[in-house]
Amino acid sequence: MKQAKRLIKAPVIVLMVLSSTACVTSTVQDSRTGVTGINEGESVVIMAKSYHLGNETESKYIRCIEDNLARGSKGLRVIPHGEFIDSLFPWFEPRTAPAETKNLAKLMDRPGVTEKMTEQGIRYIIWLDGDTERVAGGGSLSCAAGPGGGGCFGFAWWQKDADYNASVWDLEGLESAGTVSADVSGTSFMPALVVPLPFIARTQAKACKTLANQLHSFIVQDETT
Amino acid sequence: MKHLYTGGFELREAVERIGPRGMRQYSGLVFFRFFVRNSLPCEPSDIGVARPIIATGRVYLIAMYRTAVPGLLLAGLISGCGSSVTLTTPTIPEPLLEQIPISIGLRMPENFEHFVHEENVYGSEEWSIDLGRSNAALFEQLFGHMFATVTVLGPEDDPQLLPLDALIEPSIDAFEFSTPNQSNTEAFAVWIRYRLKVYDHEGQLVSNWPVSAYGKSQTTTMGGSDALERAAILAMRDAAALMIMKFDDETRISSLAKGSAPESTPAIESQTDETEDTEVQTTALEGLKDEAG
Repeated sequence: MKQAKRLIKAPVIVLMVLSSTACVTSTVQDSRTGVTGINEGESVVIMAKSYHLGNETESKYIRCIEDNLARGSKGLRVIPHGEFIDSLFPWFEPRTAPAETKNLAKLMDRPGVTEKMTEQGIRYIIWLDGDTERVAGGGSLSCAAGPGGGGCFGFAWWQKDADYNASVWDLEGLESAGTVSADVSGTSFMPALVVPLPFIARTQAKACKTLANQLHSFIVQDETT
Repeated sequence: MKHLYTGGFELREAVERIGPRGMRQYSGLVFFRFFVRNSLPCEPSDIGVARPIIATGRVYLIAMYRTAVPGLLLAGLISGCGSSVTLTTPTIPEPLLEQIPISIGLRMPENFEHFVHEENVYGSEEWSIDLGRSNAALFEQLFGHMFATVTVLGPEDDPQLLPLDALIEPSIDAFEFSTPNQSNTEAFAVWIRYRLKVYDHEGQLVSNWPVSAYGKSQTTTMGGSDALERAAILAMRDAAALMIMKFDDETRISSLAKGSAPESTPAIESQTDETEDTEVQTTALEGLKDEAG
């Protein structure tokens, strides 16, 4: 019994140590169309583009960007998107949210909208578009068990691409400040010899961190230049 | 062993989702749930974190669970096959709008107090979605924000005895949903089509407006029930947003204030030459009118 426990425990420890070693490549780009900067008391909000337009950005990805932008001593003031949407109901619902900056002026003229924006100190609305998809995979892995025990044998691999694009709208001038995009590709492997050993590429997590860092630089950069 | 599900073997995806630590924590549960699911003629109610793994059968019960399985298998069979979702009553945030200064009566159908939608997916998986009194709560909250005065009427109340400018009767025409297996995505989607009939103070039908709403939510590691509930709530919020934006344009209800005649009453105009059952409807999403009968 003890031997069996050791047999299971050792690979688990190994896989936890090695799980961060899978292959990930990333590309991040930005395109600036306006001067940025953020003052004390001003905040940003992260929104997903509407699913009415076919967008499938994951909620957890939005939360991840929010957390990363707010993190640290130089973190930005981030208004949680759910709170923002509720406070401006119904003007940021998937059906009603503005799709282009030219619609912002009309939106701000609606009763109570400017007041709510000012109250929360919203300076930038960042619209996220994109998702993480599995694009390839292969191999074969089978597991079996019987009265005497069980195990898995084989090898499997899969590749995921995380492509996200962030459009930054500056509410000071009611115009677009530019876009930031992150393109991350990760390949994971899972050999199995009795116990599966997953070497997981954290594709989405990497895309989140990369995009959040670039967004932070994009927004605060012009204050120092 | 029965292999009824076509999602493909996704052990690797599940491992990625829950991570190595989660794999260790859930591995027993995963193997056990796999066995239960593949031994039953349909999906058990609680799929939970094991869902991606238990798609098809190449994983077999490990020995340590063999004593627990028969009892739980029996329990699963007794409890029936299917997934059940019960909605918590949604809260519609206070909208930023200009209230319409009229007094309305709101009469809701009986099923708004307890609406249950049941559906077989692929003929093998039975879903039961209990909206409870979510629909009633939606219209009470929404119209409470939209109109100056709202009186909720019971089935026996006579609106003509009350000082009302208009009476609104909402109902549900259709409730539909799709699961990730059906749409080949990782999202649940819900469509609700409400119908709003607006009567003037004399009891004449002045508008008959179908409101089509849509909500979509990605599945999470917590399972499909949460995502479906979220999609249903988003569909209700979508309906609320549409009504706030278009209600007056579509129904001209503000013109019914103090018993005045509506500025434009397309429904009445079309009804003059038609039977009572034939009414002009307005396609909500496009703001266009069609002649669905």
